[in-house]
Amino acid sequence: MSKPARNFFYFAYRSVLMPTSRTRCYALGMIMLLILTGHAGISQAASPLEALKIPIETVLSLLKDPKYKNPDYRQQQRDKILAITRQLFDFTEMSKRALARNWKSFSSQEQLQFADVFADHLSNSYMDKIQGEYKDETIVFLDQETVSDGKALVKTKIQRQTKDIPVDYSMYSIDNQWRVYDVNIEGVSLIKNYRTQFDQILVKESPAQLIERLKKKVELKIGN
Amino acid sequence: MNNPCTHQKEVFLKKTATILILSCIYMFLPGNPVYSADSSAVQASPSDDESYMDEAEPPVTVADPLSGLNRAVFEFNDKLYFWALKPIAQGYKAVVPTPVRQGIQNFFHNLKAPVRIVNCFLQGKMESMANEMARFVYNTTFGILGFWDPAKDYPHLNPPEEDFGQTLGLFGIGNGIYLVLPFLGPSTLRDTVGLGGDYFLSPTAYIDPAAVGWSMKGEESVNDLSFRIGQYEELKDAAIEPYESFKDGYLQYRKQKIEQ
Repeated sequence: MSKPARNFFYFAYRSVLMPTSRTRCYALGMIMLLILTGHAGISQAASPLEALKIPIETVLSLLKDPKYKNPDYRQQQRDKILAITRQLFDFTEMSKRALARNWKSFSSQEQLQFADVFADHLSNSYMDKIQGEYKDETIVFLDQETVSDGKALVKTKIQRQTKDIPVDYSMYSIDNQWRVYDVNIEGVSLIKNYRTQFDQILVKESPAQLIERLKKKVELKIGN
Repeated sequence: MNNPCTHQKEVFLKKTATILILSCIYMFLPGNPVYSADSSAVQASPSDDESYMDEAEPPVTVADPLSGLNRAVFEFNDKLYFWALKPIAQGYKAVVPTPVRQGIQNFFHNLKAPVRIVNCFLQGKMESMANEMARFVYNTTFGILGFWDPAKDYPHLNPPEEDFGQTLGLFGIGNGIYLVLPFLGPSTLRDTVGLGGDYFLSPTAYIDPAAVGWSMKGEESVNDLSFRIGQYEELKDAAIEPYESFKDGYLQYRKQKIEQ
């Protein structure tokens, strides 16, 4: 054991077992110091930009991986991507926001069902989007803005041959984990767009019918 | 005799107490992991306080008295795309190499500089106007009649693109009513008027005979579409109610263009 380490243990041993106030003071002081520095370390751990960039790049590499060209592995690829998107996107929050005042007219079971099928639908669309656009384009992570306490906007753009498409992610942080609750493509908020659609549909149809519609859409997609 | 020792003890006790108190205060400051873990247990998501319902930014809405006709035109455009425009653009893409298509797109974009310059002026965006003019000169000369786009790499030479619909919007003129135009897709009364105004600012409108001008417009549309095959399908696939989705998408898109 190296000398500083031995000294440390000796000190720790003495401070606990030998009740002189002086060593106890030092020990307490050091514990506090550990808490303080520990805090600084955690709060700098994940920036919203990093929290977005890492999973998106993982998804992109999964999409590009030639291994999954084989149809036998398609389901495996899909499951892996879904596991990541479900972590990155808060689909329950997105469901609430897309249904807005209609959310309350859903029974708690319907709320669960809706969030589940809406998650599948959004994941499908999102995969189509980045898959379709990723052929000869790159995603650039530009900037992060703090919107309010615990909320941030991460700006990205899809660089294409002819034109750049701005894509902004609205994120919030819980337990130091950043998750997405809205995506804004060229100024069009995804959640607002779905809100107007759901508003229209729910005028004429019941929540169960809306869930059924979404289910059909998702099944159609997987069947392809 | 005992004094120095007790004094030392007192100092240490005081220091310890200070550290303890400061740490306690610190731990309950917002942002501390211990503190925020507690609060997040209660507040599992940002909308538990029902903030999800607050539509601080109300949705952009527009009257749609012609929705019957609009839906019919929407269907017509859909069929037109799948049965005619898409196969044409696909064939065109297969025959014409990408650099050529790129050049043609650049050329037509450069040709419409007057639309952007005049509308920058009308909106009082003098810096953007100067940049659009510089871009036009640069691309027309060094870009050889605009077939190349050497200005692309200079962000200041690429200000947000202005059109007459946006100018009218900035003047405080509302959307009026929602319209789906044959061939052109979602629009509003204001933006349709805007398209009319911009038409007279595009040089192709003044080509004689007019048939040449129109075939140039046709070429421009097909060429543009050859870069966007699949985008319409993607948007339509993502929608549950496509008509509503395209309407809202168009309105949101135009709103932020006007605000830019």
